[in-house]
Amino acid sequence: MRTMKLLRPSNLSRSLGGDILNLLFLILCGCLMALPLLYTIFQALKPLDEIFIFPPRFYVRNPTLDNFVQLLVMMGESWVPFSRYLFNTIFVTITGTIGHVIVASMAAFVLAKHRFPGQNLFFNIVILALMFSYHVTAIPNYLIMARLNWVDTYLALIVPYFSYPLGLFLMKQFMDQIPDSLLESARIDGASEFRIFWKIVMPSVKPAWLTLIIFIFQQLWTMQGGVYIYSEQLKTLSYAFSQILLGGAVTIARAGVSGAVGLLMMIPPIVLFIVTQSNIMETMATSGIKE
Amino acid sequence: MRPMKFDFQDFLLKLKRSLGGLKLKLNSGDKTTHMTMEKRRAIAGYVFISPFLIGLIFFFLYPFLQSVIFSFNSIQIGAQGYEMTGVGFENYRRAFLVHPTFSRVLVESIIQMITDVPLIIIFSFFAANLINQKFRGRAVARAIFFLPVIMTSGIILAVENNDLLLGIMSGAIQPDTAAGAVRALELRTLLMETRMDPRFVRYIIDAVDRLYEIVKASGVQILIFLAGLQTISPSLYEASTMEGATGWENFWKITFPMISPLILVNTVYTVIYSFTNPNNPVMEIIKNTAFAESRFGFSSAIAWIYFLVILGILGILIGVISRWVFYHD
Repeated sequence: MRTMKLLRPSNLSRSLGGDILNLLFLILCGCLMALPLLYTIFQALKPLDEIFIFPPRFYVRNPTLDNFVQLLVMMGESWVPFSRYLFNTIFVTITGTIGHVIVASMAAFVLAKHRFPGQNLFFNIVILALMFSYHVTAIPNYLIMARLNWVDTYLALIVPYFSYPLGLFLMKQFMDQIPDSLLESARIDGASEFRIFWKIVMPSVKPAWLTLIIFIFQQLWTMQGGVYIYSEQLKTLSYAFSQILLGGAVTIARAGVSGAVGLLMMIPPIVLFIVTQSNIMETMATSGIKE
Repeated sequence: MRPMKFDFQDFLLKLKRSLGGLKLKLNSGDKTTHMTMEKRRAIAGYVFISPFLIGLIFFFLYPFLQSVIFSFNSIQIGAQGYEMTGVGFENYRRAFLVHPTFSRVLVESIIQMITDVPLIIIFSFFAANLINQKFRGRAVARAIFFLPVIMTSGIILAVENNDLLLGIMSGAIQPDTAAGAVRALELRTLLMETRMDPRFVRYIIDAVDRLYEIVKASGVQILIFLAGLQTISPSLYEASTMEGATGWENFWKITFPMISPLILVNTVYTVIYSFTNPNNPVMEIIKNTAFAESRFGFSSAIAWIYFLVILGILGILIGVISRWVFYHD
């Protein structure tokens, strides 16, 4: 184990100057990327008079939690309890994410590692689906939902995400790299296709689906879904917030609250990201692909 | 091996059995084992793919074909659904010849894409390599690089677009802010001194001017590269290091070929994202025509022209890059 660590690519001979240059570059880009986050935090803490100072100021002078208090009051006043919105979003996000990862990985597995008629046609359709602008399919999509009687149910939000093409595309590219011999040997040992998929393929592309979870979670978490959902009890958190914030004339008065909302909505994806990324680190040594 | 004779009765029996229990166990001692195995694997293929396929047909293929029909019609929405009147290629003709901005905006967004994609790919590959290394605070560094992805979605984007300072930063409100111009000017004189090709200099300056945009657009690509770097087996590096390869050689002979399929993925993703993100001017035209002006037929026609353009560009790119992609097998 120790020798392996010593031989990791990062420990190969490299000049100190190069290291410093790399570090500088990282810090520069990191600052550039962290600025908006810092700004959102400051914005959430600014009292109303500081938000509208011209020229706009980056830092906050007199930090206050007023915006969060105001947000709580607003959420308390809505006739659907806040916890209901939260439940809706969490339910939709979790079922959608799990469903998508499993459905897309299964399809990607057979596309990458099986040969059957219609395979290439299918993969080409998936790539086409990636490219088409969703505004145009919005109306036919609605008609389908209406015909399936799915309008105003969770299904309308969740099920389309099961067959979201990006996931399949990503998973297939990763599964293409698994050596066939690994799967052959499992087959000779008598493993069923599903077992091969679940016990061999999925563990060896763990970084891929952990990454996919981040993408899909991210999209579902901020999805508003206002088109398909009418009942207030079924609306998502993101939709509820946008109703409060972006309602025309009141937008200016609620600029501070919107900073608070932005900050709160960002926390779960960031936490998920850190959790999944720390998992990815462990997989490298356990991937079991040796040629 | 001698080619087997196709026994239809037997095949039907096998088909029934494997569809019934979905037990894909191997029948030892059976003469037709080889053939049914293949058939069974094909069936397993369809079983595995069917959930995705059904979704794709319902939520993509059908709407997709419907929009072709829409694009050749003029659509009136009434209380009892919609009415279509056939207009032939009128919608397509109007997109190019009558619409005031469509052709210009289309060309502009293609040029924009061609400038951005190489920068984003190179930057994200470089960044992924850097944050894949071991150093203190690596997890934090990764989280920071992922921030832009979180910041550019849904309600957070809406909040951001309403904000003056962030608006200026991302160039959404005033592309030529005073600060940006000054920065670029200094760099321009510096680069001109080196007597490089002015076109190249302009490209660099453009890149620096829009650094924030490019960095912001690379979050997903960095993650994909990172996941790819982590699926490379460490034993490859071990072996080559034993043989005396340097880090530089390892990078070009192992990392680069192993990651090349993901360069293709990222190029496809970047091109598609740059064309279909909600802030793309052509997407705005499509959306406004459909929902603000309620001309769905015309909007479908524009979307189809746009789709075919993207298809052409991607086709060329995939064709070129696929030649260089290396697969492990």
